[in-house]
Amino acid sequence: MEYGLGSGYRMDLRGTPVGPFDEGTREGQMTQREPVASGVRVEDLSKTYYPSPGWMKFLVRSNIKQEVVALDQISFDVAPGEICAVVGPNGAGKTTTFRILVGLTSSSAGSATISGFDCNRESVAIRSIVGWMPAEDRSLIMRLSCAENLRFHGRLQGFKGEDLRERIRDNLAKVGLAHAADSSVFALSAGMKARLQLARALLADPKVLILDEPTGSVDPVASHGLLNLIIDLVEKQGMAALISSHRLEEIEALHSHAILLDKGQIRYDGDLDTLRSRLDRPTVEVEFTTAEPVARARHQIESKDLGEVVPTEEETTLQIMLKPDVPMGGVLTALDGELDQIAHLRELQTPLRDLLAQMYNQGRRERTDGD
Amino acid sequence: MATETRRAGLGSVAGAFLRMDSVEDISYPLSLLLSQLSIIIPVFITFFVGELVGESPEIGDDYFTFAIIGMTVSTILGAALSGFGGSLQRAQNRGTFETLLVEPVPWTVLPFAMNLWRIILGVWGGTLIFILGMLLGANYVLSGLLEFIVLLVLGVFASMGIGVVSASLMVLAKRGQPLLTLYGMASSLLAGAVFSVNQLPPFLKALSWLIPHTYVINSARAVLMDDPGTFSIEFSTAVMALLIFNVVIFVGGLWLFTRSLQYARKMGMLSGY
Repeated sequence: MEYGLGSGYRMDLRGTPVGPFDEGTREGQMTQREPVASGVRVEDLSKTYYPSPGWMKFLVRSNIKQEVVALDQISFDVAPGEICAVVGPNGAGKTTTFRILVGLTSSSAGSATISGFDCNRESVAIRSIVGWMPAEDRSLIMRLSCAENLRFHGRLQGFKGEDLRERIRDNLAKVGLAHAADSSVFALSAGMKARLQLARALLADPKVLILDEPTGSVDPVASHGLLNLIIDLVEKQGMAALISSHRLEEIEALHSHAILLDKGQIRYDGDLDTLRSRLDRPTVEVEFTTAEPVARARHQIESKDLGEVVPTEEETTLQIMLKPDVPMGGVLTALDGELDQIAHLRELQTPLRDLLAQMYNQGRRERTDGD
Repeated sequence: MATETRRAGLGSVAGAFLRMDSVEDISYPLSLLLSQLSIIIPVFITFFVGELVGESPEIGDDYFTFAIIGMTVSTILGAALSGFGGSLQRAQNRGTFETLLVEPVPWTVLPFAMNLWRIILGVWGGTLIFILGMLLGANYVLSGLLEFIVLLVLGVFASMGIGVVSASLMVLAKRGQPLLTLYGMASSLLAGAVFSVNQLPPFLKALSWLIPHTYVINSARAVLMDDPGTFSIEFSTAVMALLIFNVVIFVGGLWLFTRSLQYARKMGMLSGY
């Protein structure tokens, strides 16, 4: 399968197949099995949603009228201590991937394993080593306090007594909510609710953290704090973390491994800096002291074929998207006669949003050509 | 390096739900108080009706005791019947259901754990009716109390089983519990909570043998009343029937519930409502 630009950037994380989970585990007990692979491994994972059969239509109406391929043979790995950002437009397959990993949806083909446990078959084992933060803060119990919410989920995790109390205290402190332990959830701000959800996901010291749009309803300042907290926790605790977000500036700030999904396929798997170096064409902005030299400068650039002049609203400004092999100095050489009229000269970085749009469009063109 | 896994047992999960449900209910004191009042008022209504109803072979010589036993059993079994489905529907609507399913809890534990607080409230309500009835003059044979409790325990499990079957459908249908609605109507008509099953036409009387409520109510009267009327069921017969119901309905219900969740997981409709 062609993964666009991504095929050269796959991380290597290979382990040994493992035996079945011990179904006889009793409350609070730990089982051990060897050997295991660490982190998350997804191999040729596919998911197709089918229309409901006739008898189901009598129970509930579905809006799926034909088969929907949500994931099409995707493969990726996330190592312990690594953050992997999953990016893509709506319907790309991000949430379906996460739901398969936490056991809320089963895959149609391929495999997904966490620490060697199969997500389809060993769901209970998976659920004890994964911390999940869903996109909606409705998943919290609004009438209960922060501490009661954690106590409830802690008991569902099999913790009790002093161990549970300590975990509640520690995790509330970790996310900066120690002062709000007895506050009802409905009285919390969106940022505090997000932090409480993170505390819940961290309660059982998970091996893998899966965060579905953790900053979705949080203001930019709180979201910056939350992401820094996540980066810090992942680093300290050596967890593998998968994060989806629509806020691309946040994803870029993570400086992490990124997977770009589009229509159920991986368009890129690697780090964003490499993606930028591959796709980003340097753009130079030249601001003159007056509008008078702009037309001459434009003529110089175009006649020497240095790049594409991008229209701007400022009549004193010229933006030039350089051709790949043209250095910035080439612009200065071309504008030699106008140098004393240049007020500012700067290199612009293409927003990640534009880079991704460019990449998705390229992928779609390739698919159309292929058809 | 080995990976440690963990799963919560029934005790821990039941304790978690018990605490959450009780804290939540107690945080709405007026609603809780009104629900208790709605239990007490029908006892007084039955008391006054009992003053009017005379002796008859069908109901024996004490209608008030006859009806109070039926009401006590119906209240307790009703809670066991509808508690799980109600909790499940609330969790689906609020958006908390998925966070329950991603905890290391075997899904077969949920029908017990999510129903426990409702059953406790049902038992409290039933006890209130039973004691208030006694204070108003209901005449129980107290030596039959232990047998009565055995019947109630078996009846609670059978009702939970029917509730689980209904909840299994709800996992897929998302709204309403068609099976529970049908069963609720059938049991209130066929089990003879406030009248004798002998008063039913023959075809309805035949159907009443298919309802666990019938065995609990009519055997409870046999162990708690000197004159339970013409339709009473021997304790041993009721126990046997209820055991069979439990094996078939309860085990079948748990199987169906797990299958429903797996099917919803496959269809990607676990979270919808």
